[in-house]
Amino acid sequence: MRSFCIGKRLSRTILNYAPPLAAAPPSPLELVDLAFTRSALAELVLLAVAGGLLSGWIVLRRLAFFTHAAGTATFPGLVVAEAAGASPRLAALAVAGGYAGAVGHRPRRTGEGGDTTVALLLVVALAAGVVLAGDVFSSGAGVDSLLFGTLIGVEGGDLVVSSVVAALAVAATVLLGPVWAAAGFDPEAAQAAGVPVRRADLCLLALIAATVVAALPAVGALLVTSLLVVPAAAARLLCDRLSPLLAGAVAFALVQGVAGLYLALWLDVPPGPAVAAVGGLVFAAVACVHRPGRAA
Amino acid sequence: MSETVVEADGLGAAYGGPPALSGVSFSLEPGQTLCVLGPNGGGKTTLFRVLAGDLEAQTGTARVDGRPAHLPQAERPRLDFPVSAFDVALMGSLAHGRWWLPPRGHERAAARRALKRVGLEASEHDRFGSLSGGQRQRVLLARALVQDARVLLLDEPLAGVDPASAERITALFAELRAEGRAVLVSTHDVDSARGFDRVLCLNRRQVAFGTPAETLGSDVLEATYGAEIVMLDDGRRAVTVQHHAPGEFHPPAAGRAAPGAPPDHR
Repeated sequence: MRSFCIGKRLSRTILNYAPPLAAAPPSPLELVDLAFTRSALAELVLLAVAGGLLSGWIVLRRLAFFTHAAGTATFPGLVVAEAAGASPRLAALAVAGGYAGAVGHRPRRTGEGGDTTVALLLVVALAAGVVLAGDVFSSGAGVDSLLFGTLIGVEGGDLVVSSVVAALAVAATVLLGPVWAAAGFDPEAAQAAGVPVRRADLCLLALIAATVVAALPAVGALLVTSLLVVPAAAARLLCDRLSPLLAGAVAFALVQGVAGLYLALWLDVPPGPAVAAVGGLVFAAVACVHRPGRAA
Repeated sequence: MSETVVEADGLGAAYGGPPALSGVSFSLEPGQTLCVLGPNGGGKTTLFRVLAGDLEAQTGTARVDGRPAHLPQAERPRLDFPVSAFDVALMGSLAHGRWWLPPRGHERAAARRALKRVGLEASEHDRFGSLSGGQRQRVLLARALVQDARVLLLDEPLAGVDPASAERITALFAELRAEGRAVLVSTHDVDSARGFDRVLCLNRRQVAFGTPAETLGSDVLEATYGAEIVMLDDGRRAVTVQHHAPGEFHPPAAGRAAPGAPPDHR
């Protein structure tokens, strides 16, 4: 995945398009006029569908920490794949999928999130990635793009992957949504009723892992939660029903994606962090205006 | 030989350590109600988890006819989950085996009928977490009705429930019994146990099983609850004191707790 290791030439090209801080804001049409922003925009729209829908389930099922850890867990895999010339996407999918499988098959009494295990993995993965990148493979120059993404450099393959996970997220929400809701609301009763809770949960974890991998080119290993947690966290402040929450999360993901990309273009800042920052601001704004007690 | 819908034989269970429950043997026929009595930690919830298939039996066997409807203790379902009373009742339709398809019209109608049956048709759009404790129990009971199970496992359904809801729920027990369903109810309330067909006394093991007349004597209750039981009226009535801090307990007035009445100790 070349987008992970975008070169200096492309960076300079982007900087040439980006106006200085003091300049007037660019026309929003530039988001669709320029080829690389058009691809970035398409990527963000697709990820808004996948990430928005899944963020609803992630927040409701208390999987935010797992999602963050799954993203971080891909970091050492990406470094090794880059150094070995292997496919970073496949390496990330193997690591994130393996991690999701391990969490999905953990003993049930360890708690829904298995927070201790997740925290340990988070630290180990981050440390291993930095050591491998800096001391073993000397690929420190690409670390920033692995951690924070290179949204402007997304390619056709990235868009295909995002399209697939967006379609899967929609289909899974329609088919498995009632089971995910029943299992999240009252797991014991759902299990007793014969609902395949474990298999449905494994599907959810696997889909989260796949979406994390799809989001890596856009926002990197460290910022995946900006698309997979923040939108629903904001929507949940306003919505006390499931369907509006999911729709609201998709809408918030779209808003933060488009606004973040526009701000990155205007202020000459990296797009991935800009999208994450806008997501945080949106959440803060909603939290400020939200009336306590109205929503769940 | 009569049909049995619930049967346990030498049943024991544990949570990875010493047994939480052992030596449980009983059976129930269709249309029978069973009251499971015991102190906190006595194994009531463990028994229900095994019968519901949520926990594997360590020893012995357990058999339940079909998928039971399990109402866990009131604090188990998440109150912060963004679902309405109707959504919760409709979850009962997932037990019909078509969980991957959207609910059909008759299943939605069944959810509305169930809410009406528990007296909550006017609250179907209310968020589950915003309902009172008694209303939430009735919604969970509606979910069990939609599930249409032959066996219902109700874990302390009357705990913390307002008198109106408790009356509605106990009246529903009789209706379910008349429909031929087996209803298993765990409770701390000794007096209410007298209204059931069978009583099972647990204290990490089976202390007694039989009719209320056979099991609710002072010797069995003292073996079940130990120092937590107070016998009143020359042993004819008993109350448990395990949930009361020292100085909090006030014995009920004579005649206040009739057999089958809602619990009076919470």
